Amino acid sequence: MLADEIVDSHVLVIGSGGAGVRAAIEASQYGKTVLISKTIVGKGGCTTMAEGGYNAVLREEDSCGIHYEDTLRGGAYLNDPELVNILTREAPLRMGDLVKWGAVFDFTDADEVAQRPFGGQRFPRTCYAGDRTGHEMMMTLVDRLAATDVVTVQEYTVIDLLKDGDAVIGAIALDEKGRLVVMKADSTVLATGGGTRVYDISTNSSSGTGDGYAMGYRAGAELIDMEMVQFHPTGAIIPYDARGRLVTEAVRGEGGVLKNAQGERFMKTYDPARMELSTRDVVARAIATEILKGRGTANGGVYLDVTHLPREQIETRLPVMLEQFLKFGVDIRMTPMEVAPTAHHIMGGLRITPACRTTLPGLFACGEVSGGVHGANRLGGNALAETQVFGKRAGEAAGKAAPRQKTVDERQVDAWQGRLDSFKKGSTNPAQVRQNLQLAMWQGAGIFRNAGALEETLKTIKQFQTVSLKAASSRNLAECCIVQNMCLTASLICRSALIRTESRGAHVRTDVAQTHDAEHSPFGHTFISQTREGIETRGMKA
Amino acid sequence: MKELTVTVRRFDPDVDKEPRYVTYMVKANEGARVLNVLHAIHDSIDPTLSYRYSCASGQCGSCAVRVNGEPVLACMEEAKDRITIEPLNLDVKKDLVTDLVPRLEQIASLIPKKETVLPKKADIDAIKPLKDCIECLCCVSVCPAVDVTKFLGPTAMRQEMRLALDPRDSGDRVSDAVRDGLFTCTTCQACWKVCPKEIETPAKAIEKLRAYANKRGFTLPRHKEVAAMVQETGRSIPRTSESFLEKVGDVIEPEGPVKATVGLFIGCVYNLRQQQSALDAMEVLKRNGIRVIIPKEQVCCGSPLIRTGQLAYVDELKRRNIETYQSRGIDTVLTMCAGCGTTLKHDYETPFKVIDINELLTQYGIEPPARLPIKATYHDPCHLMRGQGIHDQPRELIRKVVDLVEMPSICCGSGGGVRAGNPDEAAALGKRRGEEIKKTGAEIVITSCPFCEFHIAGHTDKPVKNIATVLLEGYREKDRKAGKR
Repeated sequence: MLADEIVDSHVLVIGSGGAGVRAAIEASQYGKTVLISKTIVGKGGCTTMAEGGYNAVLREEDSCGIHYEDTLRGGAYLNDPELVNILTREAPLRMGDLVKWGAVFDFTDADEVAQRPFGGQRFPRTCYAGDRTGHEMMMTLVDRLAATDVVTVQEYTVIDLLKDGDAVIGAIALDEKGRLVVMKADSTVLATGGGTRVYDISTNSSSGTGDGYAMGYRAGAELIDMEMVQFHPTGAIIPYDARGRLVTEAVRGEGGVLKNAQGERFMKTYDPARMELSTRDVVARAIATEILKGRGTANGGVYLDVTHLPREQIETRLPVMLEQFLKFGVDIRMTPMEVAPTAHHIMGGLRITPACRTTLPGLFACGEVSGGVHGANRLGGNALAETQVFGKRAGEAAGKAAPRQKTVDERQVDAWQGRLDSFKKGSTNPAQVRQNLQLAMWQGAGIFRNAGALEETLKTIKQFQTVSLKAASSRNLAECCIVQNMCLTASLICRSALIRTESRGAHVRTDVAQTHDAEHSPFGHTFISQTREGIETRGMKA
Repeated sequence: MKELTVTVRRFDPDVDKEPRYVTYMVKANEGARVLNVLHAIHDSIDPTLSYRYSCASGQCGSCAVRVNGEPVLACMEEAKDRITIEPLNLDVKKDLVTDLVPRLEQIASLIPKKETVLPKKADIDAIKPLKDCIECLCCVSVCPAVDVTKFLGPTAMRQEMRLALDPRDSGDRVSDAVRDGLFTCTTCQACWKVCPKEIETPAKAIEKLRAYANKRGFTLPRHKEVAAMVQETGRSIPRTSESFLEKVGDVIEPEGPVKATVGLFIGCVYNLRQQQSALDAMEVLKRNGIRVIIPKEQVCCGSPLIRTGQLAYVDELKRRNIETYQSRGIDTVLTMCAGCGTTLKHDYETPFKVIDINELLTQYGIEPPARLPIKATYHDPCHLMRGQGIHDQPRELIRKVVDLVEMPSICCGSGGGVRAGNPDEAAALGKRRGEEIKKTGAEIVITSCPFCEFHIAGHTDKPVKNIATVLLEGYREKDRKAGKR
């Protein structure tokens, strides 16, 4: 059956967070650009929830070289050096774009963009707009987008990439009523963000369901380092339904301290030099260890305390934190917060070149869905910078790409129609599978991992993948597709975690004895695609 | 886990002719938010329930709904038992999902100047308070002007003000704001009272833009006439008969022991148009132990000028009024007019305390009046309820004398210079009040603001009475029954 509607464009950007909107703005200079979003542009995705900041070298005393070294060291030397080089050099330029377009970042008394310290960095280079930095960026980007002739298609869910032979030629989507739409494009940019919603405890927005990884994989693209999942050290723990909500690193950047139930600043045992401003992998493990060893609070967390800071500093630099905790009955000016690690960011993703080309012709990727920039652990403040640097690069490369002959493979569309029809006749509520998946991932593929638990989790996921999902109405079809994508992304994480038989950055294998440190690891990226999987070894790029 | 009973308004335009209310028994965790309740319904009771959310942490503005009629963010509002969840008062796409995009697209964007201009810290500091907006459109959903005019709404004005303050922007924000309905705002304050980020749009954006507009010559002719009159006579309306201040002495002594002494700030409308309501209030005060000092040189509070952006003469009015009470050593100034009260409380820095008559009477307590066999409804004056937070006190007084039937608290259309400047809009809003009054089945309408009193009287066939008048009628009935006077 043919699709109801076919949209043709030069560039199709999938995803409307910081990377997607930046890519669309750039691509629109080269031809008809369509931005398709599962949500309302500016509201969805994780950029708008990003609190702490944007790393950019802006001062003479700082240098891109130091930012580069900090990023590599923070990433346990698994990062793609060329991508890091680009990130550190271009982050200040893209910051300049945002300021030119009207972003209201906090300024110093000398009328310069203010910066604060963040974990794992030797210079305070994190630019911010209070603790609503990402929101400020999104508002600015949406303003700019409105000045272009980008066509926005909102609240449509992309369910698969459209293939013509090896090439990607667009996407198949569902509108809000569940009607199939075919979108053809010379270049397709995947900017779907992350996927830590596959975990029970996560900071991500509703769209952090890993659809981009799953669709890229199904289309035949290669992904790297999918085992590298960042657990942010500080997520809310109470009330139960607010578990995982991000408590920004800016809290520690502004001087917040971590204490266990006995009142000890335990970071002195884990990283006495950097203390609370160590890298996220270290702090998250430290907190998890304190809790496991029985030194956590009754609610199962540790204290994050800013009560010693001046009230005015909390009110002006951390207003969102103050407001959120007040809503749950805690005044952080007077009472310490209770926090525990929460799944936050996937460092791995589609393998990209410096021009954001994936391994598939016609498919580009930028932002969290791509891999390689952050290695085994991302520095706080580098993700917002990544969205802008690589969003622009992806948009430019996609825009400059030549027009392409595009023949829609009717068998692919028909197959999808068949799957959608089968959901209507299915038996299991997708919400049930989603919840069980999230619990299985948290238990079996969390901060501390071992082969047995990973294999067990993978088995569970495979069983979920065979369940016949039920769409209660046409509007529920997208949900079925998303739950299947979550299962696939979760399986990629588990498979990659099994392949990497070492502990590195955010990935800890408790069942592997190891003598090397990260800098001297014999291993490079893990890689996984429909045709091969494995791990690169030193000097042997796959 | 606890079990909550919640009612949700469901509506699928493809199937339903009208919205229907469905009640669900939902299992919820301790501390669950409204959003978690919606998740619970969707995940385990009815997957066809449509609602929108994204960040679930109060930062994206996707999930705003009404809970028991009040707009809130579903992700931040604690779920309580027996709540009713409805969509915002905007076009509904399905169930709780409203059509936000067309309204979001109307909000202006920054257009950078050709040459690169960078803001200063002072610019940033000025703009920042207007940048917390998450565009949830709660404000638009409650704005009475949006309902009856082409006004783009509070957040669109907030954005125009934010852009007007930005040296990087090349647009003409003041003209755009005027075009998009700047003068249709009644300053009813509904927008910022529902704002999850508490952005004070009427004072921080609309009145500021009106002041810019004034400098650019956009002030409406009728508003200019009012300003000219204030400058000439000290009063915002003309004298057509003997004024209240001419009718009364300098001090009104109470009948019994003195419970409190206050200086009266009468305000232009009570002084020159609704004198009888004010005289009735004096009788009520007299009977309840309040000694009232009435300085005769008091002038207009400046509210009609501040609300319409005509600030040139305001400081002079403030100086004269403050001097009037300060020179007599008065430590408490009584207001009866909701507009004057909110102005003295928020736009002045007074060396004395300002108290509204409803606050005063409930604070000191009143002699019980006789109950009148009348069913009444109460109209909340915006500048009393939202401007001064006075909601319960008038109701407490009213219930002492008549039966009260509630109606929704919506602006009558007379504030913010709208009655003078945009009479059609004021009439449209007045008409809606008339319809609400009719629905209550009440025999009389009670209010506590001379603007509302006068305006609503033109849009209902029921008598509109000041709260003081009704209390006085209760006392007269009491006296009649006792065979006194």
